[in-house]
Amino acid sequence: MTLEVGRVQLRTPVMAASGTFGYGTEVPLLDRSRLGGMVSKGIFLHPRPGTPPVRIVETPSGMLNAIGLQGPGVDALLRDYSPQWAEWDFPVLVNINAETVDEYGELAARLDGAPGVAGLEVNISCPNVSQGGMLFGKDARLAAAVTGAVRRRTALPVWVKLTPAVTDIAEIARACEDAGADALCAVNTFVGMSIDLHTRRPRIAFGTGGLSGPAIRPMAVHLAHQAAKAVRIPVVGIGGITTASDALEFLIAGCRAVQVGTATFAEPRAIESVVEGIERYVSDNGYEDLDALPRLVEPESEAAPAT
Amino acid sequence: MHDVTAPLLRRRRLTAEMWVLGFQSPEIAAEVTAGQFVNLLLRPGPLLRRPFSVYRVDGETVEVVLKAVGEGTRQLLDLTPGDTLSMLGPLGRGFTFDPAWKEVALVSGGLGVAPMPLAARDAAAAGLRVCWVHGARTADDLCQEWTGDEVRWATDDGSRGLRGSVVDATPADVPQVLACGPNPMLAALAGRWPTAQVAIETYMGCGTGVCLGCAVPRARGGYDRACTEGPVYEAGSIRWAALPGHLHYEVASR
Repeated sequence: MTLEVGRVQLRTPVMAASGTFGYGTEVPLLDRSRLGGMVSKGIFLHPRPGTPPVRIVETPSGMLNAIGLQGPGVDALLRDYSPQWAEWDFPVLVNINAETVDEYGELAARLDGAPGVAGLEVNISCPNVSQGGMLFGKDARLAAAVTGAVRRRTALPVWVKLTPAVTDIAEIARACEDAGADALCAVNTFVGMSIDLHTRRPRIAFGTGGLSGPAIRPMAVHLAHQAAKAVRIPVVGIGGITTASDALEFLIAGCRAVQVGTATFAEPRAIESVVEGIERYVSDNGYEDLDALPRLVEPESEAAPAT
Repeated sequence: MHDVTAPLLRRRRLTAEMWVLGFQSPEIAAEVTAGQFVNLLLRPGPLLRRPFSVYRVDGETVEVVLKAVGEGTRQLLDLTPGDTLSMLGPLGRGFTFDPAWKEVALVSGGLGVAPMPLAARDAAAAGLRVCWVHGARTADDLCQEWTGDEVRWATDDGSRGLRGSVVDATPADVPQVLACGPNPMLAALAGRWPTAQVAIETYMGCGTGVCLGCAVPRARGGYDRACTEGPVYEAGSIRWAALPGHLHYEVASR
């Protein structure tokens, strides 16, 4: 089921989402031959300690997190992980983060040509940082500025990860496409809050967190669909995928591939079962390959009942 | 690390609120050491796994101790023998034992008793004399099961043993302390025994080092992962003020 998405050759249509697969060295038990590719934990130019605990709480069918992009910085990533990635037989994209447009460009330049780096996923959608992050993803001009700054500093494939916290995701998607993105990833987590009734404080120390898991899936499918309709470049669907049928919703909605995230926390082998289920669906329905998968049957415009 | 489909074999009551569940999990039973944990997943059930220190090991049986504090633990207590769950483990770095100590105090408060039976086993294997110190709110809340050469009790209301904290009940001259319990108890213990080994409880996402959710603030700055670098730490190396005093789990996962 190999396929090319946004100038990256994926082994299967199911990737591991950023922040849920570490640097690829942590997740146990998974048969990596089924992994389409992975996106590494979000990195900044400089090391970041992350946010204080509590960082993670479970909510109904979901999980709130505010890790604050804890990470060792790009120098350590290049030293400790990129040489390992060069040995692996699946592509690794690096999720990049910054507080300014110029820093995004600088980070892209540092990663350009690095061994084992198959592409960049530009994170303009992290809800858990006080500077930058999601702010870039909420404004079409800023989203384009970041995408363009990255595009100019690297020959690597440039994917842009979109936030759901927008009025019109199609506008942001088109702005990123016009600025040179090779693919879009839709969507990052939704901002949420959960309150501890004992202390009357937010249960996440940062105050708010990013909501992921099955709770967000219908909203994510809708947003990914809106984005896919708006652009010619491929869209990678993300949001609460736990099973193959969840993934197929995104694919039928117009996505070229998907990323599995939170599900891996509970089931380290979740990606395997998603890939197997997609293969089964494709062959059971007699499609030659994924490209032959029919797209969404849009509702008739006159679907409203006659009076 | 193993992902074992583990059937519930037996259940017994420890206190009014605490239960022991024993699961058949031979691979994990054979490998687990004191202070390590398993991460349990129920399907259908909550989205995430729930981490538990291993309590006792008996042949192929791995025991965990729990209270019904939220939806996940309530569902675990509803299991009947033969029901299975996914048990991932053993996880984390446990206690270490040095025969040169000669003696060790195993100090626990409430549910913090969880890693102590294995600690007593491993301490005895290292030739150490074991002083078992356990405290709770009242005599009814004390876990009566203990292992070692000597036992000391502490209760908040004085209904059994010392009226006061387990820290006060611990022999002042004991050469080393291994402890588990609420963070304020461990913080108090750290003041007296900075080189004590303490097992820290946190919320966890994955339990395998990926999500960075179980952050433990270190005195040298930055955060560790309780699931990977921990859950056992030297008491003096923790920035206690940055940890929550109590964990509250009461979120229905529906």
